[in-house]
Amino acid sequence: MNEQFRIAQRIGLMFRYDQDLPQDMEAWVQSQLQAPSPALGIPHAYAKVAQWPDELQPNLAKRAYMWRRYRALKKQEREGKNGQDTEAARQANRRNHLMREKDEHKFVQRNVYGADQVKLRLTAFWANHFTIGNTFDTGNMIGHAIDKGILAKLNGSFAEMLYGITTHPGMLTYLDNVWSAGERSEHAKGCHRRPNCHAGLNDNLGRELLELHTVSPAAGYSEDDIRGAANVLAGWGVDFQEELPGMRKKIGGINHWNAYKKRWAEPGTKKVMGQLIHAGRGGLRQLTDFLASHDHTINYISTKLCQHFVSDNPSKDQIESVKSAWRQGDGDLPTIHTQVFKLAIAAPEAKFVWPMTWLFQVVRLSGATYFKGWEDIDNYNNQLMSSKKVLKELGQSFWSLRQPNGYSDDRVDWMSAEMFERRIRFADAIHKNGNIRRSASEIMHRIGAAKQTRNLVASVGNSPRDQFIALMCSPELMGLEYV
Amino acid sequence: MSKSTVGRRNLLKAGAASLFLAGVPIAGFTKDKPLGSISVIILEGGLDGLAAIPPIGDADLMRMRQSISPASYLPLNDFFGLHPSLQFYAQLMARGQASAVHATAFPYTKRSHFEGQNMIEGGGLSPFSEKTGWLGRALELAGVAGRSLSLDMPLILRGHRDNDNFYPASIRGSGRPPADLVEMIAMGHQMDAAQMFTKVARKSEERVQVPRDPASLAAYAGRVMAQTDGPVASVIRVGGFDTHANQVDEGDTDAGQLARQLSVVDDVIAGYRRGLGKAWDDAIILTLTEFGRTVAVNGTLGTDHGYGSVGLLAGGALPSSRVVTNWPGLSKKDQFERRDLLATIDYRSVCAACLEKALGLDHDLIASQIFHQPDLPRVFEHLFA
Repeated sequence: MNEQFRIAQRIGLMFRYDQDLPQDMEAWVQSQLQAPSPALGIPHAYAKVAQWPDELQPNLAKRAYMWRRYRALKKQEREGKNGQDTEAARQANRRNHLMREKDEHKFVQRNVYGADQVKLRLTAFWANHFTIGNTFDTGNMIGHAIDKGILAKLNGSFAEMLYGITTHPGMLTYLDNVWSAGERSEHAKGCHRRPNCHAGLNDNLGRELLELHTVSPAAGYSEDDIRGAANVLAGWGVDFQEELPGMRKKIGGINHWNAYKKRWAEPGTKKVMGQLIHAGRGGLRQLTDFLASHDHTINYISTKLCQHFVSDNPSKDQIESVKSAWRQGDGDLPTIHTQVFKLAIAAPEAKFVWPMTWLFQVVRLSGATYFKGWEDIDNYNNQLMSSKKVLKELGQSFWSLRQPNGYSDDRVDWMSAEMFERRIRFADAIHKNGNIRRSASEIMHRIGAAKQTRNLVASVGNSPRDQFIALMCSPELMGLEYV
Repeated sequence: MSKSTVGRRNLLKAGAASLFLAGVPIAGFTKDKPLGSISVIILEGGLDGLAAIPPIGDADLMRMRQSISPASYLPLNDFFGLHPSLQFYAQLMARGQASAVHATAFPYTKRSHFEGQNMIEGGGLSPFSEKTGWLGRALELAGVAGRSLSLDMPLILRGHRDNDNFYPASIRGSGRPPADLVEMIAMGHQMDAAQMFTKVARKSEERVQVPRDPASLAAYAGRVMAQTDGPVASVIRVGGFDTHANQVDEGDTDAGQLARQLSVVDDVIAGYRRGLGKAWDDAIILTLTEFGRTVAVNGTLGTDHGYGSVGLLAGGALPSSRVVTNWPGLSKKDQFERRDLLATIDYRSVCAACLEKALGLDHDLIASQIFHQPDLPRVFEHLFA
């Protein structure tokens, strides 16, 4: 591949079929790190690219209201009240009050049409690092967490992003923290006096904060450290179902992000990995700042960044260079990312392209219209599947129910015949139903495809469809071999 | 140790032993019999063994866990009950075709899902020490292939190049790709990627419509395993066992997250039974989970990560129904690190016994070459004699 596409495959989503190519790639990478990130998409198939309308991007308060409303109508549906038990009412309830399909569709559209391809790749990395699985009650929050907790924080520090996502209702709900209370909290003490009242600690988020989000098990922390972290976290977050009066009473406001219930908090100082953490609301920021600048965190995440963008087995020198950028910039993400990209661009070996990244790249290269417009999201289309269905079939979606360690960066974890079969079938479906604007040979010419790729495409004969499938499933486009 | 504890423990051992005696041993079992089959159900998230097979005869259970112990358990014997979600499994138990191993775990005590899952699938001596899985290595040794019922290829099955996976696609506007096209693409790839596309080309011939629910996948697995040249092993994954919150519903300990997931496991076992047909007689199915859960209930009607759990076994290859255990007790001082059920049986031994039975491999070979633990205890007699 020529330099432009080689770099765009590695750290971006490929230049769209009609996009002018930058001449100075180093300057391009820098400008991409600072690129504005409007949510671009199309209202209808073949319409002009535009920004997603605000009414389809509600804030957290509105999302919480929708969730409460959804639950209330579900209850009426079960009870057969107010005509809610009809199929039409059920569908209307889903359509009006659940955000998952809209958010996922927005994510897909901006990955297909966005002019901020490098930031979108970084967003995917960090959204995976801070996985929020879809436990259904998180369905209205995941999209918001990705937009506001990850994408909007790419130009700040790691410490800011860590604190932001840890206090986001999506994470606090996914890992159960909204229901956790300190053993000695006022709430737990009051509860223990009543029959059938349950209150106490849940260490799920405390554990994963250490294991997955920051220092990793290599730090050798103990169960007491995990409990300490869980105690610092106790009181954070409000159940999305909570009505506003109850919420005001619990947190003194109605903001779901950064919500802290004092009566649920564990009193007193806590200790985590030798660090004393003050009681009260400020304790969490103290903890996340401590963890954010911990040597083990810097080592663990620098390694992970290298594994995602540079190599399945990055060298010690490569990792060290990212660590030193991290320290020099005091955790400034653009400084860290710049160093990672330097390594990625110079990397001598191929890096396997994730299924969803590959799909976006295929659509962008070919100029296919493979996804519906945002206004057609609820309309059945006998050619185009919903974004939700596409990513599910592909086997990779940020809106799936999955474990908090997220998707693997190691190619061996993606080696399966069924996974590979999906690549062939999606290339086929995009060619058939996507009304592609560039053929295999046009794409090969534009990207400067390698000789081996051209030979492979030539070997399958003259059918434009077979050629398209062969190109998209070539080692070069899948990121399996550097040629 | 107090006297009463000793008494209870002895009683328990006696109870378990009497169950052994109730078993009907298979006469003349020899290694040269035709191979059986082995299927693994991976219970992701850490199964609460104390709720799946509650030790109702242990007085500490109700004292410590009444709020999450199933009220309508089915009694197995004086000491153990069975979660009411496991209805089909209970029928198998009654027919002598299901067993359980309790207070067991892989030798991993750090309570991380991801390290633990790597251990139970990789079967190595420490987390992330293995690039292949114990079942994959066993199949390689036995020279036979297995199949996973998932979109990816789980670690547990890696290690034999012919192992395959299955997960029916449903993509609008695309059918099965033509084999000759896929073969050309395979030729353009190298090594493992070429192998994958070669498998896809092979699949292009087979046209199957199978719903994706776990029970249907299990029934499909059973059917293909029953064929003469079908795979002898299969793996199916069931998630949702990380029951930190609402393990049971408020006010109904028979319902809730765990009850739902155990029903799925029950359906999977029933699916295998249906699909295997006559091949059920030589089949063994076992569950695998990364750890058990805390003895104590946490603040959110759930349990946190622990150590010892339970393994469920089913299949016609079992000679009788037993609960095999060396019960450690539940009181604080009997707990592992004063919080978890202690594991007194190494679950790798259970896996080894199932491999020995299904694949006819020698225990010492399994211990040294598959689990890299030459002194791994053999528990074959306790399960299969």
